[in-house]
Amino acid sequence: MSARTGLWGILTEPLIRQNPVTLQILGICSALAVTTSVATALTMSGALTAVVVLSAGVISLIRRHIPDSIRLIVQIVIVASLVIVIDQLLQAYLFEISQRLSVFVSLITTNCLVLGRTESYSRHNPPLRAMVDALGNGLGYSLVLTVIGAIRELFGAGSLLGWQVFATVDQGGWYTPLNLMLLAPSAFFLLGGLVWAIRSILPDQAEALDYLRPDDPENAA
Amino acid sequence: MKRGLWDREMVALLLLLAMLPMVFAWLWFGGLDALGRLVFTLVISGIWHLVFMLARAQPPSFAGAITAVGVAMLAPQDLSLLQLILGISFGSVFAELVFGGWGRNVLNPATVTIAFLGFGFPTAAWPDFVAPVGWAALPALAMGVVFGVMSLRLILGAMVAPGVALAFGVPVAAALPVAALVLALLVTDPVASASTRLGGWLNGGLYGALVVLFATGWQGAATAQIAVSAALWASLAAPLLDEAALALWTERRRRRHG
Repeated sequence: MSARTGLWGILTEPLIRQNPVTLQILGICSALAVTTSVATALTMSGALTAVVVLSAGVISLIRRHIPDSIRLIVQIVIVASLVIVIDQLLQAYLFEISQRLSVFVSLITTNCLVLGRTESYSRHNPPLRAMVDALGNGLGYSLVLTVIGAIRELFGAGSLLGWQVFATVDQGGWYTPLNLMLLAPSAFFLLGGLVWAIRSILPDQAEALDYLRPDDPENAA
Repeated sequence: MKRGLWDREMVALLLLLAMLPMVFAWLWFGGLDALGRLVFTLVISGIWHLVFMLARAQPPSFAGAITAVGVAMLAPQDLSLLQLILGISFGSVFAELVFGGWGRNVLNPATVTIAFLGFGFPTAAWPDFVAPVGWAALPALAMGVVFGVMSLRLILGAMVAPGVALAFGVPVAAALPVAALVLALLVTDPVASASTRLGGWLNGGLYGALVVLFATGWQGAATAQIAVSAALWASLAAPLLDEAALALWTERRRRRHG
């Protein structure tokens, strides 16, 4: 991303082309853990987007005053205090969902996505640009979480946001829920499939091969 | 692997040939239902091989038929066609075809398919086998070893733990026929099993030990579920066992030759 990119470019670039989850594989721990339903995925997305935007703003404001040697500590302190605020807000107003998210909201503190953005972008850019960039990354993360959460809830429980789309067998309908979708491995499979699909459409995201076939005449030369 | 007559398809065909005793015994006792199931899994597996041939220029392989046989025989019964399609698609695409086809995969696609269906639809009943089908695993294993496509070390290793268990009177006999079937259908797959000598012993030994462990400790599990889960674990551990065997070998070489 060159310095010349406009604000709109900074905002939309991380949605798919520079997506933090599917391209940079950042922040996947939480992406895998909270996507059993759309409601938790959306709450987590909102919490993370709020934290990353606010911390980008604060860190960018004081970027010329942070001593380089302790910059990570300063960043983590700022992120952690914002996370505590968000966590308290969730516990006050969305208690049930905050129970289901358990420790993952507090773990936003150590989310690689947040630290990655503050460390690589907010430290070098003015507040507005930093916050727009953080918003774009937050939205890119939210997009992936929502897609995976929707697939897992739809096929694992036959519902979306708690609203029954497929009537399951237990309720006298036809759909047999795929229990595997509610277990952690399915998130790995779905995320892998999503990365695969995106890289098939945008081949410039694919990484170079680590190994070449020894017996392939095309590689011999 | 390409050495004279021995290319990948030769190995796949010999494996398929070795499995025929079990397949015929199973079809004989299963009748038209079993035949329909087998044709259906063959078609789905074949379609995925065709898709990958057209999309990624990967040569299709008879290994797809091996996967289809394993799934048709061992997958849980009374699944709807849609569920079966989902399971086979997941297993053959994610366990085999994305890696570049048979020979480059880490796990046996049939094992992955069956485990996926078993864990995804836990209410579906696991298949039960009449005794002759279980016995048919023995000629299958023997043919595999004679053709050189199955590892004798692995098969002998797999007999250790059940043999010890039987000698001490542990009640594992009920699980053994299906365990032999799974050994012939899934565990001895030359791609997904360990390929060093010591690794083969360990891989088979681990499979046998897991069968005994699950048969004695896993309450309420069907015998097929026990054997397939043991197969999944054993093939997940196979690369590690190979790695251990290689490390031991290099260590021994280093000590002997400096």
